Amino acid sequence: MRNDLASVQAFLASVIPGRAPIPDDPALAETAARFVTGNARLTPAAQVDIYRRQFWYRHREILNDDFPALARLLGEAKMDAFCRDFLDAHPPAHAPFRKMIEPVPSFAATWPGFETDAGRTFAADMARYEIAMLDVRAGADAPPLDPQKLAGLPEDAWERARIVLHPAARRLVFSYPVHRLRKAWLVAGEPAILPEAPSPAHIVLYRNRELVTHFEELEPEAFTLFGLLDEGVPLVPALGRLAEPLPEAQQQHVAAHVGRWFQQWTALGLVVDVDLPSSS
Amino acid sequence: MTAPDRMRLGLPDLGIGVGLRLPHYEEIFETRPKVGWLEIISENFLVPGGVPLANLDRALAHYPVIQHGVSLSIGGTTPLDFDFLKNLRALLRRTKSPWVSDHLCWTGIATLNTHDLLPLPYTTDVVRHVAARARIVQDTLEVPLALENVSSYLTYTSSEMTEWDFFRAVVEEANCAVLLDVNNIYVSSQNHGFDPNVYVDAIPAERVVQIHLAGHTNYGDYIIDTHSGPVIDPVWDLYRRAIRRVGPVSTLIEWDEDIPPLATLLAEAERARIVREEALSHAK
Ligand SMILES: [Fe+2]
Repeated sequence: MRNDLASVQAFLASVIPGRAPIPDDPALAETAARFVTGNARLTPAAQVDIYRRQFWYRHREILNDDFPALARLLGEAKMDAFCRDFLDAHPPAHAPFRKMIEPVPSFAATWPGFETDAGRTFAADMARYEIAMLDVRAGADAPPLDPQKLAGLPEDAWERARIVLHPAARRLVFSYPVHRLRKAWLVAGEPAILPEAPSPAHIVLYRNRELVTHFEELEPEAFTLFGLLDEGVPLVPALGRLAEPLPEAQQQHVAAHVGRWFQQWTALGLVVDVDLPSSS
Repeated sequence: MTAPDRMRLGLPDLGIGVGLRLPHYEEIFETRPKVGWLEIISENFLVPGGVPLANLDRALAHYPVIQHGVSLSIGGTTPLDFDFLKNLRALLRRTKSPWVSDHLCWTGIATLNTHDLLPLPYTTDVVRHVAARARIVQDTLEVPLALENVSSYLTYTSSEMTEWDFFRAVVEEANCAVLLDVNNIYVSSQNHGFDPNVYVDAIPAERVVQIHLAGHTNYGDYIIDTHSGPVIDPVWDLYRRAIRRVGPVSTLIEWDEDIPPLATLLAEAERARIVREEALSHAK
């Protein structure tokens, strides 16, 4: 067997994410002894096993830190099982932890450890929300909107102007109001219980000017409009696209409320610029 | 004896610093304790913006900040990650850190990042491999790279030399700096049964630009470098010995687990200041 650097590293990387103690596996213990010396107190396999245990403790801690509400819902033993299964399915391949946790929502959506589909749906929603919390906290900065810029816009500008939204803001749709429940569990200390029935929610998660993360619940139409603006569609055409498929009554609702929505988004710091392309 | 102006590779002595850790942010920014500098974990600040970078800017307004990394994997066998190095260089422009440090170790392979600092086999082949990569990193980052000795819990059958001979060979061949972690020397000396004084005495003194002090956790059969608890007396002794050899070198207290109140950390920093003063006066 080769004993160069790459072979040593390949062996250790193959056993460090393992679940079972390396000394318990005679074949692994024998291979460990080819690469690792051991000492008077520890066999080679026992030395390697220190790194296997550290791997587990470290990644369990990261997952618990990044998904505190999911951890509360599951409880310690079940969260451990979730973390073990997740790390088996998605061993971290990259240095940034943000990359490691990316598949947590999709993994939660199919994890057999939940008794029901509702549990899986809820957990996936919560995991998506908890990742969004991290992203909003460390998302890109943008200088606040210059009020003069809005005041100075010509009448027809809303046909063409691209409304620039805060780059750290995230739009999220949930089957369950995980944003409220997470706050209730972690801030108010309420018991973490899966709600009996779904209750869909549309939210924008954003950072205020003091860099504190907040959620804002939006009506479904407002949420769609926000998404169109985020894609760069100017306000007037965006409103056209929003209204087109809606029944008459809802169209009137949108027309009556759009001014207030826009004011609110501006007040919350979600609108950071208005980009008026120079007319050619 | 090396000429004084060649010590620390000409880099500044910033005195005693502490690691900037989340639970202490507000108190540090509000009370601005008298420490010489702060060390950050670079990876925590490789983000687009928001809270982490705002906090970093608050720290930079009042303290020199030195960047310490954990994911370089200088001893890895996968290609160096130039996107990571580019981001690190951008952060260096923000912090103006006069040097940047990471560990003399490997962290993973293409399919697995252990997020751990694993020791390398001490061979001439590995010296060449690591030194070549360190030169590239140093050229890319445009500031001196300081490599830090890690705590280790295993030794390899393929090793041909001692850890200190390996460490010296790497930094000399790479022409890079040393971040000497005296707690890691102590931990490894207990785990592997060598004399830590011999290690300290073998380090090329003029290359040491920074020293780490920390606590650890003793499990009986082995010791883990947890950065938890106060620095123990044998480690203070090693620190005195190191300071007498290398002179006034920026020293940092690392405390990452069971993080205590800031006052406790500052008291440990004050102890380091006194120990360093005494060691320097004895060295004269
Ligand atoms: Fe260290």
